[in-house]
Amino acid sequence: MGKVIVVTSGKGGVGKTTSTANLGTALALLGKTVVVVDADVGLRNLDIVMGLESRIVYTSMDVIEKQCELSKALVKDRRVDGLTLLAASQKNNKDDIQPEQMKTICDKLRSEHDFVLIDSPAGIERGFSNASAGADEAIVVTTPDVSAIRDADRIIGLLQHAGIEPINLVLNRFSPELVGNGSMMDQEDVLDILNIDLIGIVPEDTGVITSTNRGIPLVYEDASPGSQAYMRIARRLTGQRIPIPDLEQKGLLTNIVNWFRNR
Amino acid sequence: MANSNVALRAYRDGLHLIIRPHLSITEVEEAIQEEISRMNQPLGGASVQIDLKGPTLKPEEMAYLKSKLQETYNLKVRGIDTVDEQVPPPIAAAPTTHTLPQRTVPQQPRDTDPSRIIPYTIRSGQIEDFPQGSLVIYGDVNSGGEVRAGGDIVVLGALRGNAHAGLNNRPSAVIIAMELVPVQLQIGSFINRGPMNQKPRGYPEIARVGVEDVIIIEKFVKF
Ligand SMILES: Nc1ncnc2c1ncn2[C@@H]1O[C@H](COP(=O)(O)OP(=O)(O)O)[C@@H](O)[C@H]1O
Ligand SMILES: [Mg+2]
Repeated sequence: MGKVIVVTSGKGGVGKTTSTANLGTALALLGKTVVVVDADVGLRNLDIVMGLESRIVYTSMDVIEKQCELSKALVKDRRVDGLTLLAASQKNNKDDIQPEQMKTICDKLRSEHDFVLIDSPAGIERGFSNASAGADEAIVVTTPDVSAIRDADRIIGLLQHAGIEPINLVLNRFSPELVGNGSMMDQEDVLDILNIDLIGIVPEDTGVITSTNRGIPLVYEDASPGSQAYMRIARRLTGQRIPIPDLEQKGLLTNIVNWFRNR
Repeated sequence: MANSNVALRAYRDGLHLIIRPHLSITEVEEAIQEEISRMNQPLGGASVQIDLKGPTLKPEEMAYLKSKLQETYNLKVRGIDTVDEQVPPPIAAAPTTHTLPQRTVPQQPRDTDPSRIIPYTIRSGQIEDFPQGSLVIYGDVNSGGEVRAGGDIVVLGALRGNAHAGLNNRPSAVIIAMELVPVQLQIGSFINRGPMNQKPRGYPEIARVGVEDVIIIEKFVKF
């Protein structure tokens, strides 16, 4: 029996899809069976980030309309064992699916996988209720800026109301340099407001953009800081206890080192 | 803070304009302009006490300043005092509380309405409404969240969102928070927009309607 985890945020563009693709792949690389589910009906892009768009035949809509079996709609990722994708329909919109139908799909997937990761659309309306309907746990993604944090706070309230627990936080696009010069909130400020458990900090990493464009999740690339951050989060999801490295300290140290270099 | 030459402060007897010594009249004018725009709150019709922290403007400059405050900001000067201090501290950085009496709340009896305890944080989009009496929050009120009470509001955490105390036009209500950094406060029919980007001060504060009908915020000591 696996876990269904909704990856959500409230605000768009903070890294839900990036996080779903990388954590799904990372968990599979760790030997888990994983299905990543695109719940962004009408605006799907998890398939692109995963590099699987050309292989999609059926979507969750076809499963709901009984056009095909659930197992047939799962697109197998050939780069790693145990990873599949359930795509969203691009032709429909979010109101064409009911939360109970999503829950039925999640319940089925849970019984056959270690992890079911659901990529939620932005917003707090039907798309969000569909994405969270079958979830046991949640990962809230935010960037360290006030508007993303306010939206994350809103989502956390809704998740708590729905009894989804635990709710873990991924702080994405974190820049030690910007925190160091005082123009970005630090992790303490963010956690002080949101008051949930931090499961990882993903630094700003230009590798994310190139990997998105190539359809190869960052975690296939060992050296990138973003990749390492996602691998650590995946390990934490499997229950390993791994400390969160203090990116700020590193930032400070880099600053000092650079200062000496520049003299 | 923007400048430390002039500070506009709300004390229990009304507004005070605190001016550091040895400034030129133009420096004072500029600093006042900056300070008043920073207040972010209409002051028209209020009266102000000028506190001079040492030797400063000449009498004719003082007279000019008085008429300028009246004309430009509709602020009436109700008195001028010289508050001599050995070492004038940078005013904006110093807490204003040293001139405050110990007790920060007027000694009138509090209303004994029912009160409700909210044992969790009010997050963005959530509203806690209790017109029947006072609210006590065991948690924060986050930006985008709102608390409304007929009586007082006490937040045993950070107040970062909106709070409206004294809902049914009761200006005697107060708002107290361990960290008072709101988006907006309302007491009865009086509104106070929180200052932009305010950092927590590290002590509890109380907001109430002062003698000039503006919401004033002070360090909270005790009832
Ligand atoms: N850690 C990161 N570093 C740099 N760019 C990032 C990072 N995370 C996300 N991005 C970029 O931000 C954009 C939005 O990311 P996406 O995952 O699509 O957000 P969402 O699904 O929340 O709308 C994409 O262009 C992505 O490449
Ligand atoms: Mg997305």
